[in-house]
Amino acid sequence: MSLITGIGWVTVSGMGHGRESKDFALSAGQLPSISRKSVFEKPYQHFGRMDEFSRLGLAAIAFALKDAGLDEWTRMRDMGILASTVYGCLQTDIDFFDTVMPGDDQSPSPALFSYTLPNCFLGEAACHFGLMGAAYVINEAYSSGLSAVCNAMDGIACGEFESTLAGVCDLGCPTHFPLEERGVPGAVFLVIEKTPRSGCLPYGSLTMDKNGDIMLDGKKTEDLVGLVKECLRQLNN
Amino acid sequence: MAEGEYRSKEVWVTDVSAVTALAHDLDGLWHRILSGDTSIKPVRRFPVDRYTSRVASLMEDLIRPGDQSLTHALLDRLFRKTGPVPSDAFLVTATTKAGIDNLERLRHKIPADPNDILLASIPDIASKMLGLGGRAINISAACASSAIAVARGAALIATGRADAVLVCCLDVVTEFVFSGFSSLGALSPVPCMPFDRERNGLSLGEGAAALMLMSRERAEREGMPHLGTISGWGIAGDAHHITAPARDGRGLIKAVGLALNNAMLKEEDISVISAHGTGTVYNDLMELTAFRYLFGHRRLPVYSVKGAIGHTMGAAGGIEVALGLKTLSEQVVPPTVGLSNPEDDAAGLVSPFAKEMKGDYLLTTNSGFGGTNAAIILKKGEKM
Repeated sequence: MSLITGIGWVTVSGMGHGRESKDFALSAGQLPSISRKSVFEKPYQHFGRMDEFSRLGLAAIAFALKDAGLDEWTRMRDMGILASTVYGCLQTDIDFFDTVMPGDDQSPSPALFSYTLPNCFLGEAACHFGLMGAAYVINEAYSSGLSAVCNAMDGIACGEFESTLAGVCDLGCPTHFPLEERGVPGAVFLVIEKTPRSGCLPYGSLTMDKNGDIMLDGKKTEDLVGLVKECLRQLNN
Repeated sequence: MAEGEYRSKEVWVTDVSAVTALAHDLDGLWHRILSGDTSIKPVRRFPVDRYTSRVASLMEDLIRPGDQSLTHALLDRLFRKTGPVPSDAFLVTATTKAGIDNLERLRHKIPADPNDILLASIPDIASKMLGLGGRAINISAACASSAIAVARGAALIATGRADAVLVCCLDVVTEFVFSGFSSLGALSPVPCMPFDRERNGLSLGEGAAALMLMSRERAEREGMPHLGTISGWGIAGDAHHITAPARDGRGLIKAVGLALNNAMLKEEDISVISAHGTGTVYNDLMELTAFRYLFGHRRLPVYSVKGAIGHTMGAAGGIEVALGLKTLSEQVVPPTVGLSNPEDDAAGLVSPFAKEMKGDYLLTTNSGFGGTNAAIILKKGEKM
């Protein structure tokens, strides 16, 4: 059994975390602009140089850690970060390859290339928050958003880490790109811990059965949105 | 699941296949590496005159089918060498850029299937080719992608959530990745020289591997061969930089520690190390630092296959697990192709020549962008 101790998100409806805001929804539309000041109180010089996908994911991770009381740190922590995504950093891929195309007086951009892997924002989050656990991205064509949560439960069961962030991150399909829209844009992360490190009261307990079904306090949950909404409902009751 | 239950399932490898530019099957690859051959040659697939290197390890005879990505042709070639896969197998794939060649074509206004660009296209294509109907995911964690996919597959079996998992990994060399590594100054102008004093960067390579993992119970029930065991795995981050390794090797040290703990082994149980060994100055130094910290005075044999087949990115870990099983089976440490004058700390560990060995456990490691590190411990199985 593991506990959900933090929830953070950036969606079309806004950005925030579970103990601060009840307005959580994941829907189609335009994501809010993410500035450093809208997420971090302290200067974070590097943030503005990241690609949009990394800023989205990093912001949701920051809110989740703040919600769990784990955003401040002095020693490296054994915490993983697992994220699922459909489009990943496709927009950054396009931007980078446009610097490779012949004809212009430009060279391939190393700054853009550094963000053409969808796991790079996990590395940014690991650096900023001192997280040394497993960090990787999971890709499925269509998903309930629970893949990262399932992998988190496996990782904790196998002793790979004591706690982890798990969630989804997607900017949506790049504008005018010939792919159908799958899912909605936004990032949502949960902090899942075997034993809570801060004094925060957990939202609920998570278990997983052998079929990979995720249960919140013994009740099966169908997708990540439903899981987050149930957590927020329980907190407010 | 109950605490402690996860170790009740032993994870066997029952089939392996690999295709690279050096050979179209694992046996051929093994023999050519033992001969000290390399497939790193001048690139003809795309123009390279603007870049800092002109060499890579490519399957220049790989033909793109219509508007599809080269990934289709590579998977087709791989599955011709792969044994039967149970239809209920859980599929875990690994790739860093999937069919990014199709993004290049679309930007050049050439017809191409955009679906192939998505990382999730790989499990989709592989499932269809193999007629699988079960769950399928792709893992993306830079150059540690397939080592992590092996770890995830092993965890699925160890926890009892699956009893057959096919791990399938691949990446192709495209102008996209070639130009990117060139822009970072990471490409060696000559075929890479892992752990050599004169090393000056990596050489890109393309390839694919498939590893059939089964619970011991199912493998025995179905009479499958026991080619080896995934005894332990560990994944850890540097929390240092997204494109440069932590020079103290802290993430790799932690990953190996987790793998040893997971396998319930001690450092002295490991007989040989298949290193990531990219040939970049900082990666190789970082690895040597980590191995010295972990194994102290022991002069464990270490090798890298990247001088022979290039850095196959998301496929590297899977191909190296396949070759690691071969190393244990043959009890021969393959040569580090490209090496002539070892780095100080590597002297006596790495060799340009094949050497006999004795031992049951091999450690294989990979590291990648994002500061990620993965370690897998393999146990010797029956003769391959």
